[in-house]
Amino acid sequence: MVHTIVLVKQVLQTAELKIDKSSKSIVTQGVPRVISETDKNALEEAVRIKEKHGGKITVISMGSPEAKEALREALAMGADEAVLLTDSRFEGSDSHAVASVLAAAVTKILDYDLIICGAYSEDMFAFQVGSRLAEICNLPQFTYATKITMEGSKITVERDLENERQVVEGKLPCLVTVVREINEPRLPTLMAIMASSKKPTSTWSAEDLSLAESELGYNGSLNEILRSTVSSGERKRVIMQGEAKDVALKLTKALQQEGVLKVT
Amino acid sequence: MEQEKRDIWIFSEQPQLAFELLCKGGALSKELGSELVAFATTASCADDYIKRGADKVLLVNNPILAEFQVDTYTDALSALANEHKPEAILIGATRNGLELAPRLAERLKTGCVTEVTKIELDADKKFLLMDRVSMGGNLVETHISRSKPQIATVPKGLFSQNSPDTSRKGQIITAEPKIKPPATRLLEKKPKEAKGVKLSDASVIVSFGRGVRKKEDMAMVEKFAEAVGGVIGCSRPIAEDLGWLPEEQYIGLSGQKVNPKLYFACGISGQIQHLTGIRNSKVIVSINNDPKAPIFEFSDYGIVGDLYEILPNLTDAVKQLASN
Repeated sequence: MVHTIVLVKQVLQTAELKIDKSSKSIVTQGVPRVISETDKNALEEAVRIKEKHGGKITVISMGSPEAKEALREALAMGADEAVLLTDSRFEGSDSHAVASVLAAAVTKILDYDLIICGAYSEDMFAFQVGSRLAEICNLPQFTYATKITMEGSKITVERDLENERQVVEGKLPCLVTVVREINEPRLPTLMAIMASSKKPTSTWSAEDLSLAESELGYNGSLNEILRSTVSSGERKRVIMQGEAKDVALKLTKALQQEGVLKVT
Repeated sequence: MEQEKRDIWIFSEQPQLAFELLCKGGALSKELGSELVAFATTASCADDYIKRGADKVLLVNNPILAEFQVDTYTDALSALANEHKPEAILIGATRNGLELAPRLAERLKTGCVTEVTKIELDADKKFLLMDRVSMGGNLVETHISRSKPQIATVPKGLFSQNSPDTSRKGQIITAEPKIKPPATRLLEKKPKEAKGVKLSDASVIVSFGRGVRKKEDMAMVEKFAEAVGGVIGCSRPIAEDLGWLPEEQYIGLSGQKVNPKLYFACGISGQIQHLTGIRNSKVIVSINNDPKAPIFEFSDYGIVGDLYEILPNLTDAVKQLASN
């Protein structure tokens, strides 16, 4: 029996984001909110672990009240209970402040064996929350997992690094971050979607987590964003069009002049 | 009060990346009038670091550090940082480094900026301005850390290296920080098969996306890559959804970040995810049949046309140039 906590983040589907050139800002209106891809893999892995070893899955999401939708999806995929961590004072949190809130939540849940989350989130790619949470909770961490096997309190994880794959073992409780390669997340059945609305969902604020004002959001952050600007590519933008043969010759000449085309 | 030393520290388990950090770290410590300090686990590395610009090397010759493991390296670096109070720690953004930096930062109760795209001192030389991209690459954020050491992870290829100077002198300090035995045990290491030249080292890259309609048509791209002496890359859907190329070959925010002299984007629409991976390319050429494709905004040369007509003609043109 394994009690797994899965952490999921609801993100804007970044591929759908567009830049408004006149106001130089990101257009988020109408952009769908989804569970970050690797977090979905984390959830799928938790469901597979439960299918094999029994136990229970608690899914946690920290975010705006809309994150309830992400939790509903997680419940439909196979989680048993959901906890939404939402509070307007959480806004402006950096990775440290996020990890602190999550740590308070998992500490409140207490009787877990395993925490799984994505190695990174699709919107930020900061790779921070998993490591920071493991440190606060004083847990061993296994990152970039492509396979998880368990036997009693022993866990074995295959990890994907740039140039090698590793097999690492340790003991529960621990924290594992996964990469997309680990599995193919299931699509919930209609039955599961209907059943998900009957599963227990709690909502916790800063008070429920006994967190002080100084630990929250902007105040509780160790990093500060001084400014953010819409990224711009400063490129020549020479457009060529016409007969394929002519265009090909024109381009090779231009590249030769740039000194970047090495002809052997 | 003792004057602050404000030393810049660097660490990477990959020597080539450590050399890049030494080059950037050296520029920063010079501006601050402080020392550049490298963390090493072997004496030969320590010597190399001095040749590449370190003023000091903290050498921890403990066999427990022979393999990188996040808990032992966090113990070692946090103990040393607590003792010496560096201004900043630059860590190589390998997967190991990206795992280490936040854990180390959390233990030291300090900020951390991962995968920076730029680091510089502010006008008053009080703190580091650290840029990174977020929101799927749409935003460039400038971060500062409210506490010290300021920690940043730096991807490979962002900074250049100093060439080794054998006459440089530096101090090697042997340190013995307290390190607990690791909570995890490495059972096995399997090296990945090397597949020719790596994208991260390539000077010419020919990359393709969904504009290539069938797997067999990759041959057309390969022929062109051969003609220009380039390495093949692809966009994320080609590797992750279609599996035509291994995951190591896809370029983007979540995949490989490249910095070639010449980058060809063939039939790639140019989602921000992809553009972020190629932003450090010197010259970007794109070929796409959709004149509105976002890739053209981020290209030096854009060809609007049918990839299946353009690419063979380009291959011929390059070959012709070679034979003249």
